Amino acid sequence: MIGPMKRLLRSRGARKLGRDRLALASMFVIGAYLAIAIAVGVFGLISGEEAIFRIGPDQLVGAWGKPTVEQRMHYLEFYVDQVDQAFDKREPEKALAAIDFFGLRTVSTDEDVMAEKLETIFDPFDELYELQEEEGFADDPENFARLEKLEVDIAAMFQQPEGWERRYRDIGLLLGTDRQGRSILLRAVYAIKVAVQIGLVAALVSVLIGTILGGVAAFFGGWVDHVIVWLYSTLSAIPYIILLMVLAAMFLGSPFEGTLIPVYVAFCMTFWIGPCRVVRGEVMKLRELEYVQAATAVGFGRTRILLKHIIPNTTHLMFINFSLIFIGAIKAEVILSFLGLGVKNEPSWGVMINQSRQEVIAGFMWQIGAATFFMFTLVLAFNILSDALQDAFDPKHV
Amino acid sequence: MWAYILRRVLYNIPVYLGIIFLLMAALRVNDPIWGYLGKNASHEAYAAMEKSMGLDQPLLVQFWDFTSGLVTFEEVDGVSRWKAGLAESWSDKGRPVGDLVGDAVWPSLSITVPALVLTSLISITIAILSAYYRGRLPDKVMMVSAVLGMSISFLVYIIFGQYWGAYVLNERIGGEFFAIQGYKSDEPGWWVTYCLLPVLISTIVTMGYDTRFYRAVMVEETGRDYITTARAKGATKRKIMFVHMLKNAMIPIITRIMITLPFLVMGSLLLEVYFGIPGMGRALLQAITTLDFPVAQLLVALFAGLFLLTVILTDVFYALVDPRVRLQ
Repeated sequence: MIGPMKRLLRSRGARKLGRDRLALASMFVIGAYLAIAIAVGVFGLISGEEAIFRIGPDQLVGAWGKPTVEQRMHYLEFYVDQVDQAFDKREPEKALAAIDFFGLRTVSTDEDVMAEKLETIFDPFDELYELQEEEGFADDPENFARLEKLEVDIAAMFQQPEGWERRYRDIGLLLGTDRQGRSILLRAVYAIKVAVQIGLVAALVSVLIGTILGGVAAFFGGWVDHVIVWLYSTLSAIPYIILLMVLAAMFLGSPFEGTLIPVYVAFCMTFWIGPCRVVRGEVMKLRELEYVQAATAVGFGRTRILLKHIIPNTTHLMFINFSLIFIGAIKAEVILSFLGLGVKNEPSWGVMINQSRQEVIAGFMWQIGAATFFMFTLVLAFNILSDALQDAFDPKHV
Repeated sequence: MWAYILRRVLYNIPVYLGIIFLLMAALRVNDPIWGYLGKNASHEAYAAMEKSMGLDQPLLVQFWDFTSGLVTFEEVDGVSRWKAGLAESWSDKGRPVGDLVGDAVWPSLSITVPALVLTSLISITIAILSAYYRGRLPDKVMMVSAVLGMSISFLVYIIFGQYWGAYVLNERIGGEFFAIQGYKSDEPGWWVTYCLLPVLISTIVTMGYDTRFYRAVMVEETGRDYITTARAKGATKRKIMFVHMLKNAMIPIITRIMITLPFLVMGSLLLEVYFGIPGMGRALLQAITTLDFPVAQLLVALFAGLFLLTVILTDVFYALVDPRVRLQ
């Protein structure tokens, strides 16, 4: 593969691509996502546990969001409840010591100290809670002052973490939390790994299968061609979304349900059709060319001609299809998640968008916004790259 | 031409049988019987149910039963009925599959047909404008927004569409203009209430892809010799655009629309599931997840048949309108 890659890099198309600033920028973005994915997946920048760890009250708005009075009361209620519930346990001191939201711990684990603090908070909190129901609550500056004082008092029950721990907590809270109080940012970044994993596996395997089958079909012809054409005509006689559904549903109830395996299988068995069809058409043209006749005349075997002389000349099509399938896989993952046939054990953009349906109705946009933004940037970069690749290497394509 | 059509039909029979066979095999990876009987059922009950569902037969026998049913008619109460449609649904006990599918067709069509018309009209118009202003600001703006729009997930459009279109709008006007969910076709104005919002969402989602395709078609036409001739003759840009070019560009446009026709019947799966519209797409998802094989098989068989026929007809159409294309 090294030889044809070098040739491709020196081709006219590659020079055209090199002058395309937008394409270069999109490659940079894709590279950045890839780097994050490697940092998460290989070096454990964010572990799976951190992405499912409760780091604060649920539906906390992000760093530059402005919570409403109801939301602020809701957050306070959460913190008060956490301490209060610890006293219901058999060993309150242990329960107090167990409170740890990403470095945020109670000031003291001493039962008496905390009980005293809690006592002073109960009454103003209840008062405010009832006042909140009344109309015009938010307009009264006096209420506002009470709310702010209460916030300070409740914050005093907790000890802000120091140093790196603090920074890490701030980063975790940057985009707020979801309905289970998990960090949206950490989940969205962790989902980059999942998306890149799905995209890479789907695109690599599909392009590989498609190119080999397409090349073999066109080059050898005869019954091989008939079988392969039959196979892809068959699979493309139903919409790909239905094919994905049927394939992913095969794993329902199996131990693989909810993992990435059904997604991989469904995508690889669906997306190879595109490259196969294109490569078959291209090889049909290539095999009639004189250099192939020359290679035959020299006495090279047919397999060798196909692998060394013909397939390398379809490298540009492989790149274009790789890019297209990557987009297709990321977008289809969201749909499979929505249909309940996709990833369940790890956070992915599909899982996040699907989960945010209830939040959107409540007017909370942080989770859907974050997942959509991260996904949008990557898909946009790939869309631009696909267009640029097509312009550079396959300009006749409509 | 008839010889060509016949040859294509014959050629597509193995493709058609292939998709049905692959579907039946893929469905049977899961065992539906425990799901319907419950985990604690006795082995006798299991065997009885397996027999009544026909699952005790080898796959090839089941395949033969199903495919032969597709081309057989049976006399029921003095009326000749399609045998494939008479099989009973498993999850909706005792209901003939044919009725189930028949009921699901209209809700699907009442969304997909208006959506197709609207999308085609809007995106062809935009594509013409874009090609007219090719390389200039309006073209760039439209093409950039198409790419941006294509990069957002369908599901996000649906979620925000429902939020702004149903929740927020209803709150603002203090009534129900668009329904949040559901489908009833017996009220006056039901189409606007239940279908218009999904139609609009679907239009916005598909517009990006269609506009780009139609524009590419038109741009390709602008490079042809007859355009150069027309220009040399001194025809105005507008005349070349709308008289010479559009007529020729219509061929790929109509072809693309024709190819999408079978997809109309299948409905828009996501929209149907999200808005609770009892169409074909939702029926298929339910059939696949509840392992209701008769329904899933019939839906896929119907769709695949329709799709293959449309492809053949599209090729014939192409040859009819474009004398350069020969059928062989």
